[in-house]
Amino acid sequence: MSPATPEKLAPALPPKRGLRDFFVERLGLDGIQALMAKKRVPIHRSTPFYFLGGMALFLFGIQLVTGMLLSLYYKPSTDQAFESVQAIMTEVDFGWLVRSAHAWSANLLIGILFLHILTAYIMRAYRRPREMTWFSGMLLFFLFLAFGFSGYLLPWNQLAFFASSVGTALVGKVPFVGEQLLLWARGGENVTGETLVRFYALHVAVFPVIAFVLLGMHLYLVQKHGMSVPDAAVKKLGGKENVPSMPFVPHFLLRDMVGWYLALAILAALAALFPWELGEKADPFGSAPVGIKPEWYFLFMFQALRHLPAHIYGVEGEIAGVLFFGFCGIVAMLVPLLDRTATAGWPRRILNVLAAMAVIFFIVMTAWGLIE
Amino acid sequence: MDSKPDPVPRRSLLTGSLTVGIVATVGAIFYPVAMFLRPRKATSTGAAEVVAPYRVNDLKPDANGRWPAPFNFNGKPCLLIRADDEVRAFNAICTHTECTVEYVPEKGVIFCACHNGVYDVEGRNVSGPPPRPLEMYKVTLRGQPGQEDIIVSRNT
Repeated sequence: MSPATPEKLAPALPPKRGLRDFFVERLGLDGIQALMAKKRVPIHRSTPFYFLGGMALFLFGIQLVTGMLLSLYYKPSTDQAFESVQAIMTEVDFGWLVRSAHAWSANLLIGILFLHILTAYIMRAYRRPREMTWFSGMLLFFLFLAFGFSGYLLPWNQLAFFASSVGTALVGKVPFVGEQLLLWARGGENVTGETLVRFYALHVAVFPVIAFVLLGMHLYLVQKHGMSVPDAAVKKLGGKENVPSMPFVPHFLLRDMVGWYLALAILAALAALFPWELGEKADPFGSAPVGIKPEWYFLFMFQALRHLPAHIYGVEGEIAGVLFFGFCGIVAMLVPLLDRTATAGWPRRILNVLAAMAVIFFIVMTAWGLIE
Repeated sequence: MDSKPDPVPRRSLLTGSLTVGIVATVGAIFYPVAMFLRPRKATSTGAAEVVAPYRVNDLKPDANGRWPAPFNFNGKPCLLIRADDEVRAFNAICTHTECTVEYVPEKGVIFCACHNGVYDVEGRNVSGPPPRPLEMYKVTLRGQPGQEDIIVSRNT
């Protein structure tokens, strides 16, 4: 047993150097640097699909910034919400641009997420050990749908009012707990100012915090497990170790940024050329306007529910529809547990048929809803 | 084959146009945001004339011993006091850190509770931290003697 020498207790610090080393030494940046240097992105035919996640992240950043800006002028009450959004659109300098960017970016984000999930499914990126990445991603997707739904009510216009009435009424159809859920969601029996304040609180405080937690988890897992390489690429090159790759920093990141820049350009063009409409102020006691439709990403559900018969095998049509869509959501969520074999076996083939049917159903119903 | 050197080296042309693009993008983002953050209505300045919600005979301590509170004079609180047989009107915003001052008739001073600033009945800063006297407004009385309307005005 040798006595501990002072050198062992407190290792001598390296000599002082420049400003960069000042921060590296105090913040432990070398660990982050080493992580970044380690991260590599495989190169194969499907590599472009890796951009979708980063693009969704970028659009989420735009949502945060434009949302914070809008919150400086928005007032969540029935006698001020519509008027404050109207003021944003007509009086505040560039207010129309900020609000239009927020609304358009939300729609682009949902669209990108659809593609992100679809490509992850096609590449079977959810398999062991990436099940949790899939779960957190699906939860994020549902959360962003909820973001869209809650944000839609905030301008307190006719469309928003009835969309929220319909949407929360569907929640009320859930067996056993529906009635309570409806009261909870609306803050009362009807869509009122209480609902508006609730949706506002969810939209600007509760959901963002949940989003940060889930997003942190999702990104950590992507970093931990690395990018998933599709079977086809592995097979073609005769083994995982033969798949070429590029460093994430700076090679992939720069390509990512080109994608973001493109997204920003598309967003700016959409916001400038097609400013988001405001419509008429909500009248809780007026009739629903003819031709009322939800946002495009809810349209397939809306269209399907509209054409369901009043009763299916003795069950109310709406209840059957809500249960069906809920079931589909659960199946999508549980994909990693349903398809667990290394090579695509029969569970995967069944899932493929279901997924294809779901995509076709979505496209047909959305298109039908748009032209009707 | 032409062996003339490039008039603009390729690399500097590329980095130059990249820099211009980045600067333009940053400008195109921050200019609208800066304009968006600007408040909509300019705070009211210039001339103003307001009839006070008190008449001359209202200017006395109430049952709880409180002097009539400042009223809204074009967006700023205006304090009315009665001293030396005269009605005076002041901008009630303390010149120190912009709290609203109050009149203490029994001591004959205008007092700011935030940092113990004291002004006399002509608005002069007499003790405590206030650096300047209170802004004084013009007072015009109109109507029956003893219960005249008080018209407060400002020229600039």
